[in-house]
Amino acid sequence: MKKRLALLMALVMMFSLCCFSAPAAFADDEVTLTLWSIATESDSSHQAFVDGIAAFEAEHPGVKIEHVTTENEAYKTKIKAAMSSGEGLPDIFFTWGMGFLGEFVNAGRVYCVDDDYANYADELPEAMTVNVRYDGKMYGVPYTMSLVTLYANMDLLAQVGYDDIPATYEDMIDCCEALKAAGIIPFGVSGKELWCLSEYVEPLVIKSVGGQALRDMYNGEASWNNEGVVKAIEAFEGMVENEYFDPSAAALGNDEVKNNFIAGKYAFYQNGSWNNKDIGEQAQFNVKAGTFPVLDDSIPLYSMIGGPNNTLAVTESSQNKELAVEAAFFLAKFMSDADYKSGANLPCWAADPDAEVNDLIQAAADMASKAEDMVLFGDNFLSADAANTYLDYIGLAYAGDVTPTEYVEGLDADLG
Amino acid sequence: MNNSLSGTRNWRKIVVYVILILWALISLFPVYWMLTFSLKTNSEIFGENVVGLPREWVWENYKRALHTGNMPRYFLNSLIVAITTIVITLAASVMATYAMTRLHWKGRKRMNSFFMLGLTIPIHASIVPLYTTLAKLKLLDTLWALIIPYSAFSLAMGILVCTGFMGDIPYDLDEAAFLDGCGVWGTFFRVIAPLMTPAVATVGIYTFLQCWNELMFANVFVNSDKWRTLPVGVQSLSGQYTTDWGPIGAALSIATIPTLIVYIFLSKKIQDSFIAGAVKG
Amino acid sequence: MNKPFRYKVNIFLFLLPALLLFVGVLIAPIIMSTVYSFTEWNGFTTPEFIGFKNYVELFTSRSINIQRALKNAFLLAILSCCIQLPFALWLALRLSRPIKGKTAFLSIFFLPVLISTVVIGQLWLKIYNPDYGVLNVFLRSIGLDNLTRIWLGDKKTALGAAFVPILWQYVGYHMLLMYAGIKGVPVELTEAAMLDGCTQAQVSRYIIIPYIRPILRVSVIFAITGSLKSFDLIYVLTNGGPNHATEVPSTLMISMLFLRNRYGMGSTIAVMLIILCFAFALLINMLFKEEK
Repeated sequence: MKKRLALLMALVMMFSLCCFSAPAAFADDEVTLTLWSIATESDSSHQAFVDGIAAFEAEHPGVKIEHVTTENEAYKTKIKAAMSSGEGLPDIFFTWGMGFLGEFVNAGRVYCVDDDYANYADELPEAMTVNVRYDGKMYGVPYTMSLVTLYANMDLLAQVGYDDIPATYEDMIDCCEALKAAGIIPFGVSGKELWCLSEYVEPLVIKSVGGQALRDMYNGEASWNNEGVVKAIEAFEGMVENEYFDPSAAALGNDEVKNNFIAGKYAFYQNGSWNNKDIGEQAQFNVKAGTFPVLDDSIPLYSMIGGPNNTLAVTESSQNKELAVEAAFFLAKFMSDADYKSGANLPCWAADPDAEVNDLIQAAADMASKAEDMVLFGDNFLSADAANTYLDYIGLAYAGDVTPTEYVEGLDADLG
Repeated sequence: MNNSLSGTRNWRKIVVYVILILWALISLFPVYWMLTFSLKTNSEIFGENVVGLPREWVWENYKRALHTGNMPRYFLNSLIVAITTIVITLAASVMATYAMTRLHWKGRKRMNSFFMLGLTIPIHASIVPLYTTLAKLKLLDTLWALIIPYSAFSLAMGILVCTGFMGDIPYDLDEAAFLDGCGVWGTFFRVIAPLMTPAVATVGIYTFLQCWNELMFANVFVNSDKWRTLPVGVQSLSGQYTTDWGPIGAALSIATIPTLIVYIFLSKKIQDSFIAGAVKG
Repeated sequence: MNKPFRYKVNIFLFLLPALLLFVGVLIAPIIMSTVYSFTEWNGFTTPEFIGFKNYVELFTSRSINIQRALKNAFLLAILSCCIQLPFALWLALRLSRPIKGKTAFLSIFFLPVLISTVVIGQLWLKIYNPDYGVLNVFLRSIGLDNLTRIWLGDKKTALGAAFVPILWQYVGYHMLLMYAGIKGVPVELTEAAMLDGCTQAQVSRYIIIPYIRPILRVSVIFAITGSLKSFDLIYVLTNGGPNHATEVPSTLMISMLFLRNRYGMGSTIAVMLIILCFAFALLINMLFKEEK
């Protein structure tokens, strides 16, 4: 027994030694770029990445792109650890705009792509680059943008006599009451994942104060203590109190809530436009994508929460920056197109006008083109610490633990 | 009188059995649940049929789990990491314990407490410093980047267990070996080390549990597909916005079943080795 | 070469592998964390030395509310010592007496320890699910509808609900440790007591439990340090919510380190945790020694 064990161990050791020191098997004239992303094999963008990389490699013989994928939450830890130590960084990495990328830019870890942008300016509108600009300089290449979308189960709405998404706030409230009376839960939201709550709060706020005012508050240039914000939070807390949201959802994750909506349990589900593909393909009912009505009539209906956020950036430590930048632009353009055509999300790059896309993505694209203003998701806009404090307040509002006044005063005090 | 006494005894016996059987069912439930949900669709998992047997046996889930990435390779990596970690932990802790229990020097007690500090350290706090160190040593993105931290974090427990075992070995043996002309090393290799085999199972299973399911280090310290471990592979089955839970269940079953099989075969041994090591605690 | 010197070299050589691993992987990062804990640092730019400010903020800030996290962790530790360990001990005592199916029970009770946290976490999420969860369905089926709750989403029940799986999962582990200890009690001792007319309960109380005191000490240390450091299941089940009601020090630490980019503050929590765990380990050792 002992001998066998020793033999086994020896074998394993030998095997592992061989494995660990397997030599890198490519020729000298080949260049390998590393790309880190969150497009795991089960992610809806995975295939687009694979195709994009293949297309780039075909155009650039001798260049290989090694694609390292990590699950969303784990990715944040991974990229932060690497950025923190500055070692072992990839050439190109996936990032979200504004706050997330901003801290890496401040640390001097990200390569500025301003000069290269000129070559692509006619395909990638400058308006799409606002969330990756710091002091006016561009540090990343956005590829898809997302808008908060109100998905409606039209079959359930028809049951209470609505053939469209209510156009005014009062109408919306009446609709919710009618749904409730019919035993249908109006809204599905995950109360456990705070960002899902923000997908409800932020549209209410922007539709009450307008885009510029909200942007100023995020930037710390205006006080949150604003009648409009108070009104929006009042509306939100009212919706919770009146049980327009599924009360059970306080303990549910977004996955489950989305599944419930697809299973026909809720009349509405408000979340990012990245859900278009899943909802469009899986829902067995007539589904419509729209936007929440305004709280204040002076605010345009298409004041939207969202914007370009999925981004590729190049590291300052990359050994082949020029090539990496080229690849980043190439892949971004490719992904923008591919995700649009597959119905996964909205493109940042000029889209092919003849492309055939599904109804939901078409509706989202229409909303994007009608958008009067677009303000990025608060937790992307703000820096990491502030973003989490901000989400905490949304959680408190959901639980009814703060009054609307306490909410705005708290944000003023704690977001600094 | 005698009758009523044995009556209450029987009564109590029944109560004890009921509790034991209930607890056994509760303990078995996760395994049953994992195996069944690995064969279900999302809609069954989410609400329609949570605890029952699958209505439709979706073997496809296993196919998908196996074809995502390179599961067999991840499995092999996990195995290599686990076995190497166990070997290193065992060797290092047996040697250190020998020095701290059977060799005489000042401060050996304090050294023991120093190692016990390892039980108190939260694993997550060391990610960033460890990342930098591993990068400097050019070990990032190799299996060593996992083996070394896992071994270090299992060490405290290893030493604790080995101290218990080593205390059981009579000191006369050392003296006899010494009189036979064995040096410190001779005594260690010829007398002490062979007697430590019962510790293998205890330290082994503990170390195995530590590294088989570990996710945080495995995600951060390894990039290449070819060095990924099972938990990372399982995780890659969940997408950014949607997740099919069936294949995840399948992958989790694939990761867990070998553990269970090994455990079933070794459970007697593991229990015995716990006993052998327990006396001195 | 003189002998004592060679002896010392040998001692050193025996300790070397363990020391290298231990110092390199555990101690060095902790020293670095200690240094960071005195800085304001987001993890990326240059750290700024700020003395004890993080420590002061940690214990005074209402928004971090470390007091609540510590209270939760202590509560878990207490529950663990008052419910989990006694139950494990009861199981161990029972199974150490002749009983049918003993080996099977021993093996089965240990199973939850072997299952990964992901599975355990997902399972309990399903058990607690407010709509179709086993618990609420069961309560409804026996007519106790008014007892159904949104277990993990309600501030009043979330903490308790999150603790149950943590306590449950490791019962088998402690049981096996204690069982092993009981098997080490010399048979002559218990037999003599039985002949003297002691009942099983008395034998357990006066002979077995005092004898396995060293094992109990290990169990208590594991239970308490494990509770103070608990993270995985809480993270999966509630992630500290709703509204931080189930926050424990480790979840706060992770959120500071990797969500809020407050590396300095995260390190401060880490240092506090280590000191706390070590202090408790020493305290328990002292208590067990004194009682002897």
